[in-house]
Amino acid sequence: MKQLSILLISIFAIVGCKKPPEVTDFDRGAMLTDMSSSIIQPAYDKMSTSLTSLKLKSVNFNASPTLTTLNEIKTAFNQAYLDFEACKMLNFGSMDDYGIVGAMNTYPIDSNKINSNISNGNYTLGAVDNIQAIGLPTVDFLLYHKSELEIITEFTINTEAANRKTYLFDICEKMENEFNLVLNEWNTSKVGFAESNGNDIGSSTSLLFNAFVKDLELIKNAKIGIPAGYQTAGETLPHYVESFYSAQSIDLAVANLNALKNVFNGGELIGFDDYIRDVEGGTVENSLADNINAQFDAAIAATNAINNPFSDQVDANAAAVLEAFNEVKALLTYIKTDMSSILGLLITFQDNDGD
Amino acid sequence: MNPFKNWHSETSAAPLAVYRICFGLLMLFSTVRFISKGWVTSLYIEPKFHFSYQGFDWLPYPSEFGIWTLFILLIITSLFITLGFLYRFSTILFFLSFSFVELLDKANYLNHYYFVSLVAFLLIFISSHRMFSLDRFFGLVKSSTQARLWEIRILQFQISVVYFFAGIAKIEADWLLNAQPLKYWLHTANHISFFGDLLKQDWVAYLFSWVGCIYDLTIVLFLVMQKTRKAAYFAVITFHLTTWLLFPIGVFPWVMMAATTIFFSIQFHEQLLQFLSRFLRRTKLNNESKNGYFNKTMINVFLITFISFQILTPLRFILYEGDLFWTENGYRFSWRVMLMEKTATSNFYVIDNSTNTELEVNNADFLTKNQEKMMAAQPDMILQYSQFLKNEFTDTIINRFGHELNVSTPEIQAEIFVTLNGRPHQEYVSKGIDLSTITMNENPYNWLEKFND
Repeated sequence: MKQLSILLISIFAIVGCKKPPEVTDFDRGAMLTDMSSSIIQPAYDKMSTSLTSLKLKSVNFNASPTLTTLNEIKTAFNQAYLDFEACKMLNFGSMDDYGIVGAMNTYPIDSNKINSNISNGNYTLGAVDNIQAIGLPTVDFLLYHKSELEIITEFTINTEAANRKTYLFDICEKMENEFNLVLNEWNTSKVGFAESNGNDIGSSTSLLFNAFVKDLELIKNAKIGIPAGYQTAGETLPHYVESFYSAQSIDLAVANLNALKNVFNGGELIGFDDYIRDVEGGTVENSLADNINAQFDAAIAATNAINNPFSDQVDANAAAVLEAFNEVKALLTYIKTDMSSILGLLITFQDNDGD
Repeated sequence: MNPFKNWHSETSAAPLAVYRICFGLLMLFSTVRFISKGWVTSLYIEPKFHFSYQGFDWLPYPSEFGIWTLFILLIITSLFITLGFLYRFSTILFFLSFSFVELLDKANYLNHYYFVSLVAFLLIFISSHRMFSLDRFFGLVKSSTQARLWEIRILQFQISVVYFFAGIAKIEADWLLNAQPLKYWLHTANHISFFGDLLKQDWVAYLFSWVGCIYDLTIVLFLVMQKTRKAAYFAVITFHLTTWLLFPIGVFPWVMMAATTIFFSIQFHEQLLQFLSRFLRRTKLNNESKNGYFNKTMINVFLITFISFQILTPLRFILYEGDLFWTENGYRFSWRVMLMEKTATSNFYVIDNSTNTELEVNNADFLTKNQEKMMAAQPDMILQYSQFLKNEFTDTIINRFGHELNVSTPEIQAEIFVTLNGRPHQEYVSKGIDLSTITMNENPYNWLEKFND
């Protein structure tokens, strides 16, 4: 025992003599506080505001469907969609519980279902079989599926105009109501969010990270892979693009990627990038954080290189689409492999002995 | 000179009785814990596909009822072992049930489960029910306070094997020179505010790595020597409690803390039993020695076989080509604990050249999160999964988004990236190889990309 303790003490001494690298003051709790105040809160607030605005514009448009009011509601809709892209990766807690992402953005829509709902004037929007007849994609359909004059006709002269107005309003109101529930619950739970600062499963860091990964996977598959035909043996599915009718898929995808990058960097404040650098201890030549940011830029650039409408590009510009897909896939590899490894974020509750 | 000569001499049976009780109680606790965490369902009932062990794929996979029966058997038999009731029967049944459960899916492999299986196996041959047991109380076994020395020594040997090989495995560059993976693990494990920033310090990671290695290599020696035993056991407790606090390693620390008590003196164990017997009806202990079931030669053969097996198994990796951490050929059953942080991302593809069909597989359709994580970084499991996918997709019509895709004779390809002990990710398996045609025995693993250290 004496020998052992001498040995231990000397190791202590040898290793201890090395000047300890600078220990930054990073701590997960601080990161979560920053994420909470500078990312989640603003994203939820903006989403709530833009959904309220969308609902109000639908009231205005319904009151007098003109080119002016149509353009106003379109502007509000586009804004709401962009804001949605910046909060769909924050899909944990009540947002996850209420199934907001599915309710707000399941596409493609089912136009037959939407039309029959309008004709019947009798529907339960929360019902499972209406999942392709609600949310932003349905608003996209209602406002954009025909020329502006034809749309106005649908909302004025058409025999079902009154029902159509009600349907548009109901869809918008449903989204607003549900998201306000999320916002209210967030306001009471955000203190707990910042306090759950472990790294075990169920901790806020783990929730944030897992939702982050899932959202990036959605970009790879739902936004790009499926319409591009990568899951159907090369058979492209143009109808499966996001915002098929308003044809702003690329803007939305870029907004989504930018928002993910923003979450990764914690905006201007403490984020996963700082966490990674802290774990690396400043001893690594190329920080993983830099590599991930560079890969984000590559994915954004490759996506931006595709034009709208994406539904045409999946056939007309297949090479560029594949390029964007591969860049997003490479980004996912960084996130799911290197980042999850270095941050030790568990995926299951089980015991392990590290093998 | 026969090193086993002394092994047949008589000694007190007290350490065996204490060991039996500790083991039984721990297994009871561990099984109840396992059930209460819902792992029976998530690990054994939910998975649709099971990664069988090579050589054991003939084992039938039990029904849900069968799985629960096994776990109930584990509870009953561990209770019986604790009480020393129907001892031979209970130990055999416990060993079989426990090992059967472990053999169902290698995605659930843990070193300490293997250790439990081995100890359970040894207990079958060790008469740890000769004192302080219901069997003795009911007269089912001749009471005796005497045991054979080998019965204690073989248990001590088993613990020595665990520590020694765990220590040997740590003598490598990542562990000693880079303090990996502990450096990253400790850094992110600092949820205990008491340690706080201390665990972020590089020197702490080096200290833990070196101390861990030296501890594993020397602890048995210090436990054996009477002079250092107390201090050594204090080290055992400190070491395992620390790992228990920092890492999600379940009951392993408790298993080791209990198992090492076998090194304690006979007096200690006798006093402990005397203390315990104050709470029981006093019965006079019989000092007469007792002949075992087996004759000396049989025991010698058994011990030599067991010991050789235990020494050779962890060393089998020497026969295989390639970096052990990369191929993991010979990694299991070798006491390589806490040694490696390996994370992988895998994309599998079903490719049918005859119909010009390529499909990306959604792994979550077939595997649990844990299975997917384990499979993606372990070559033998990658092959098993590929084989499974091949069977799953052969001659099928898949409907995806309203499109029917015909698959007749698919190739299974994969694209896998791995990060090992903090290195940037590297390609592990590259697309273009039909993994479903590769057999498990192929060595070296040419289908894996080369490891760039």
